Amino acid sequence: MKSLSLAVTLFVLIAVGCAHSPQVASSPASQAQPTLTASKSDAAPQKPQKPAVKSKGTPAKTEKATADSDATMDYTEETTGEAKEEQAPAIADPIQPFNRAMFEFNDKLYFWLLKPVAQGYKAVVPEPARVSVKNFFSNLGFPIRFVSCLLQADVSCAATEVGRFTVNTIWGIGGLMDPAASNDLNLQKQDVDLGQTLGIWGVGQGFYIVWPLVGPSSVRDSIDIASEYFLYPLSYTSEIAPWYVYYIVRSYQEVNSTSLRIGDYEALKEAAIDPYLAIRDAYVQYRWKKIKLKGAPIEQLAPGGVRLEK
Amino acid sequence: MKRLFVGLSILILFLVTSAAYAGAPLDAVKANADKVLDVLRDPKLKAPSAKEIKKEKLRVIYVEMFDEVELSRRSLGMNWNKLNADQRQEFVKLFEQVLEKAYADKILAYTNEKIEFTKESMVGSNLAEVRTRVITASKEIPITYRVILKNGVWKVYDVVIENVSLVQNYRTQFNDILAKNTPEQLLEILRKKVKAQ
Repeated sequence: MKSLSLAVTLFVLIAVGCAHSPQVASSPASQAQPTLTASKSDAAPQKPQKPAVKSKGTPAKTEKATADSDATMDYTEETTGEAKEEQAPAIADPIQPFNRAMFEFNDKLYFWLLKPVAQGYKAVVPEPARVSVKNFFSNLGFPIRFVSCLLQADVSCAATEVGRFTVNTIWGIGGLMDPAASNDLNLQKQDVDLGQTLGIWGVGQGFYIVWPLVGPSSVRDSIDIASEYFLYPLSYTSEIAPWYVYYIVRSYQEVNSTSLRIGDYEALKEAAIDPYLAIRDAYVQYRWKKIKLKGAPIEQLAPGGVRLEK
Repeated sequence: MKRLFVGLSILILFLVTSAAYAGAPLDAVKANADKVLDVLRDPKLKAPSAKEIKKEKLRVIYVEMFDEVELSRRSLGMNWNKLNADQRQEFVKLFEQVLEKAYADKILAYTNEKIEFTKESMVGSNLAEVRTRVITASKEIPITYRVILKNGVWKVYDVVIENVSLVQNYRTQFNDILAKNTPEQLLEILRKKVKAQ
């Protein structure tokens, strides 16, 4: 029975959460080997690249460097200075057919269910209230962030989280408000999670997985989906309430957060030539940077132990 | 006293170098961003019917603000060299249209957002990054503009939103498409997309 409910939960969770943000993803990270410099081919490395078969169609000429205007200038790393920029490595995608199917599933779930519901909700509930609800759920994410801070051996991060949780729970009306982030206290939410922690420890990202409901993830970052079962307080509602309460609350959380970002996913999808690849790449870049920012040697710490952006 | 002196000399140094750069990168981006905000907040253009006028104005600013050839070249990466001159020109145009159609409405929807310019840093002799933050009621979005100096003008060639580089994101897609298709087929895909939008 327990395992059934776990499976169901996972499914619902995914259904609910998955569609949520195929945009830049909310969970874990990516990074793998520091392949930083290699900028030319980096985007495609997952498949054994066939060297662009010049079959029919137009002959793909490689020359044409004869330059007069800017547009005729060839692309080289020296002229662009690209080599200096670091770039996120590509991710392996061996189960792409499955991933694409899940991507479609999440996409439909978003457009057919989540978005209409969120729009209706948005029309009724004013934005400040929705932001408060978001703060409340964010406050409940404290254990995950706290544990992640500790596992990253980042004491100031852990202390900041404890301070935030205390202040916001007591003076922020159970987390509805975020007084800790005010200018006076300046205790900002720490952008940490367990997938990122593994990345900092040096664990590679593994391959790309699109979970139904949860959305883009990687082998490594899937730990965040699992950890929620233990570390997210809502997972324990079944101890005191009927089992379906969890799903209702969790769904509500998803609807609320979706209502605050309707349009983001649409824009990203609209702009993409291949939405699946666009989102996969966005996910990888986002996770890679998140690990890099945290894993980088400490530069400056602002008051309150906030790590400034690089 | 000594501190003051150091501070002053840094200030002077900064003033001198920024003059040499024909307007520091940050100023260049900020000037254009301000123009965009002016258009968005223009009370005369509030009516829904003025949407096309706004779009036209934004297009003018876009051309001043972005280096679309550089943006296209970097988005294609090494594949850029596979396109001949005509194909390159067409690609630049199509790519610009794809971006415009995808983002114009999104930008027009902005109203109360605030843009904070946090930092600029030189990446190379002619490359720089300008960090900004767009602050909305519910969140803050970090946006970095990568700019390049050409003919004395700083122009944007990449936009990094929430740590995701636009250029790199497209390069992943174009690489994948060009691994299976010819440049002509890629152009055909883009033409279709522009039409469908």
